[in-house]
Amino acid sequence: MARGEVTINTGLCQGCGLCIGFCSRGCLELSPDRLSDMGSPQPILAQPERCNACCVCAWLCPDFAIDVYKHTGVA
Amino acid sequence: MSLEMIYGTPSLKTQMPRSVFCPGCHYGTIARILAEVMQELEFDGRAIGLAGVGCSFAGMPLNLDVDFTSCPHGRAPAMATAMKRIHPEAVVFTVQGDGDLGAIGLGCFMNALLRGEKLTTIFLNNANYGTTGGQMAPTTLPGMRTTTSPTGRDPQNSGFPLHAAELAAFMPSVAYAARVTVHTPANFQKAKKAVTAAFQKQIDGTGYGFVEFLSACPPNWGLTPTKCLTFISERMMAEYPLGVFKDVDHLDYSKVP
Repeated sequence: MARGEVTINTGLCQGCGLCIGFCSRGCLELSPDRLSDMGSPQPILAQPERCNACCVCAWLCPDFAIDVYKHTGVA
Repeated sequence: MSLEMIYGTPSLKTQMPRSVFCPGCHYGTIARILAEVMQELEFDGRAIGLAGVGCSFAGMPLNLDVDFTSCPHGRAPAMATAMKRIHPEAVVFTVQGDGDLGAIGLGCFMNALLRGEKLTTIFLNNANYGTTGGQMAPTTLPGMRTTTSPTGRDPQNSGFPLHAAELAAFMPSVAYAARVTVHTPANFQKAKKAVTAAFQKQIDGTGYGFVEFLSACPPNWGLTPTKCLTFISERMMAEYPLGVFKDVDHLDYSKVP
């Protein structure tokens, strides 16, 4: 079960791909069909169930584009 | 089950429609470190930043919601001296690139160290002049190709790279000098500790704090953002070793010879 979730601000992201390299769980992928206004490819949370909200992608995002959320409590 | 935000944009970050940096530039990560450290040490209300000319000027004042002044090229330590002496309670820091601190402003930087100012300098070393198109800088590695050294920097003609952190550590007025990177998550945390320590030396009145960042410049290096990380770990860190070169809690200010 997914322990966390990341959101990527498409207005700020420039598609450098650093977050994809830094994600040790392999959650993020560059999406060829999703382009920003500037024409850069954007990463998507391809495998959301693997995310454990470690925040590494958000630390090292140079464009302040990633926010990290954690699932709290049980439904 | 509910979603709780645990990490996001620091509140000191200004709202901008898009980033001012090139894709893959590390300056945004360094701006994040500065914003987080200012909030953790709770001096963002009395911080005064002085930015030199270059990408450091384009990035930091636009990204950080603190008082900033832009300076003539290379003169940030001189203006910071004036700011610190007029407002002793303020936390004054300069953000300078390698053209600003290492080339045109080396005199002002060395004089600030000689005068024993209690400032903090963040030195952004990306081994070329990023804003003007990647010319050779004092910090360019031997053999590294730039637009003004198309066959690679020749130490026979152009000399050897400037090691600013070691230079600062050698000066008696400096309390903290370190070289860090942000190219891995572990180094990001070490960099944050170094910036915290450098600001703490100024807040405690110990002495000068100096932190050098090795950062990537993907367009001018001609590499992808991911390959820039390999370049930093293999080439840049071979020439510029990381580490804390000086960390003292007390400097001897007595007049007795």
